[in-house]
Amino acid sequence: MYQALLTRRYLFSKIMPLLAALAVLLCTAMVLVTWSVMGGFLNMLIGTGRTLTGDVAIAWPTTGFRHYEDLIKRLEADPMVAAAAPMIETPGMINLPDGRTEWIMVRGIDGPSFAKVTEYADILWWKRLNKPLPKDEKGEDIRLLDEFFGTPWEDRYQAGLNLERYNPRTGRVEAAAVLGIEVSKYNQRELGGFYTPYAPTKRNPDGTSQTERVFMPDSGQVTLNVLPTDVTGKGVETATAVMPVANEFQSGLYEADNKVAFIRLDALQKMLRMSPYTSAAAPQRSGPEDFATASETEVVQVPGRVTHVLVKGKGNEADAKELKKAVERVYAEFAAAHKGDVPTLDQIGRQIKTWREQNAMFIGAVEKETALVMFLFSMISLVAVVLILAIFWSMVAEKTKDIGILRAMGASKLGVAWVWIRYGLVIGVVGGLLGGLTAFAIVHNINPIHEWMGKALDIQIWDPRVYYFTTIPNKVNGTHAAIVMIGFVLASGVGALVPALRAAMLHPVRALRFE
Amino acid sequence: MRVTNLVKTYHLGRVDVPVLRGVSMSVSAGEFVAILGASGSGKSTLLHLLGGLDRPDKPLTGTIEFEGRTLHEFGSSELDRYRNEDVGFVFQFYHLLPELTVMENVLLGPMIRYGRLGYMARAGALKKEAESLLTTVGLGHRLKHRPAELSGGERQRVAIARALINQPKLLLADEPTGNLDHVTGGKILDMLMEIRRQRNQTMVVVTHDEETAKRADRVIRLMDGRVVEG
Repeated sequence: MYQALLTRRYLFSKIMPLLAALAVLLCTAMVLVTWSVMGGFLNMLIGTGRTLTGDVAIAWPTTGFRHYEDLIKRLEADPMVAAAAPMIETPGMINLPDGRTEWIMVRGIDGPSFAKVTEYADILWWKRLNKPLPKDEKGEDIRLLDEFFGTPWEDRYQAGLNLERYNPRTGRVEAAAVLGIEVSKYNQRELGGFYTPYAPTKRNPDGTSQTERVFMPDSGQVTLNVLPTDVTGKGVETATAVMPVANEFQSGLYEADNKVAFIRLDALQKMLRMSPYTSAAAPQRSGPEDFATASETEVVQVPGRVTHVLVKGKGNEADAKELKKAVERVYAEFAAAHKGDVPTLDQIGRQIKTWREQNAMFIGAVEKETALVMFLFSMISLVAVVLILAIFWSMVAEKTKDIGILRAMGASKLGVAWVWIRYGLVIGVVGGLLGGLTAFAIVHNINPIHEWMGKALDIQIWDPRVYYFTTIPNKVNGTHAAIVMIGFVLASGVGALVPALRAAMLHPVRALRFE
Repeated sequence: MRVTNLVKTYHLGRVDVPVLRGVSMSVSAGEFVAILGASGSGKSTLLHLLGGLDRPDKPLTGTIEFEGRTLHEFGSSELDRYRNEDVGFVFQFYHLLPELTVMENVLLGPMIRYGRLGYMARAGALKKEAESLLTTVGLGHRLKHRPAELSGGERQRVAIARALINQPKLLLADEPTGNLDHVTGGKILDMLMEIRRQRNQTMVVVTHDEETAKRADRVIRLMDGRVVEG
């Protein structure tokens, strides 16, 4: 009873405990704001890692595998699978309108089915916007216009979705490429988080240069070079194709947006010699009695190949591992049905990966960075413990006479210790709760605060030209908040423990005589 | 209370300073005993030992018996209880807790004695008792004041009320008028005499003042850690 009374009175009678509570408040808020923003950033990054991969991917790089249509049919018949789509992935070179040549990853996809498995339809960049992005205060995004270069945005969007573009020179709709928004380097990322196309400068062999009037989805075309291989994986000869650009995409994953070009699956199959074809082959003979027909041949349909089949599950993210098991099961049946013509499950097993496994390096790196930042901030937060220890040590010294009085009146050592431990815990609770509320207020309003800093102080920490996300994560995770607050309450108790034991061990007579 | 051949030595670094060199004395129930001595004679140390605030030298040299029980045999919690229930202290410098009000200072003893639930169950009666005691010492109108708002004499009266709230069998006062002017000190002494009369309170008062000692039933004179009279 007397501990509660003294805790209450000590708390508000001196400036030191309020300073200790303030220290706890600041440390709690600091750790929680960091965790919320970095954790939110991590979640956003992880989310982007999933946009182009589906939930599970079956891969057999370079040579690819046949009968993928049958595999997709079997997969889509499984109750856990929502959709599956074929893809070819191969390294290649891209030659841009300004003469630059870059290494990229070329992916051949069937737009509509790829969009069912991934976020492809959402990440196509050049499409009509009904309202500006949150940071585009002046509404400067060209996608807010009804049309650009005379073409409605919806046409460009459909062209991107189907990976084809009308060619006025030939009068035909041709297979087209969809480039990552950073591939061409002709799009300037603005502070508002949108892109403004600009005219590239082309250098001529004679040393002169000229400015190209080009908006990639309108008049841009690129030359793609890939290296086809035979079924054994040996290179054949470079395949080259000139392709118009139908649209560009922004997945949020810089690696993809800077180094990936999508083209239509059949076009890439053709370039890589992976298309289905018809072949003349000698019929199988059961014995010498067929000798009479030995010179005859049969027409054989050789199915096309792809390097990947991407699978989207019906469940949520947590079910990816279960989905992987289902995919493995279906693949085993598929491999048995096409024995000798496709890799066995044992051969391909390690290449069946969930989206997390596919992005393990990237996710792991970001997770480790977040953990490192948290560790550093936690180390800094030990300051709170030491600060409370120091403040309590000094308060115990200041209140030595009170301790002597309490002991003279019959208070036990434990009772006296509890006064100080309780006091530390109360400071932890007050500081922790107020710190939690402060953190919530800061994180919840972090974007307006950041905007204000930009306007008033010209400070842009979260620059959309550097970061892909236009807004700073502004959600506080309840579990994280509880962990941080409870942690600081306990830390405050620990900080008060040593001074409390010192108080308990004080000799009553010496305490009474203390000056 | 019976004290037999009590020895207490303080150790200041490597130097041993004997304070009590074999003190024997006794105090009967209802008796008012004054321990008289000059500064450094060991009278405060004797009072601390009587009140269980300190222990005799080890190996044990001398005993203190209270109602047939030997203090040095008390465990830590038993000694805490002895200080809380059987003894009331009044100090020269009052030793009130500055953050608490007059009323709260007086109620501190029962709070320690009964614990949270026990105190809450008796809170009403205990507050009445504290108020009554404070009225008796003339502070019924200053219950919510802080010690800093009181004069020296008033603070000592709060300390007396605090010492009496648990109805101790033994009241120990260490120079209760030593920090007060002559008139105020006299009033405090009058009050102690009146309380003693009303409650038949056993009192041991340590003083260096002959006038104070004269009002006691018996005077024990200490010199250099030894009883020279009484």
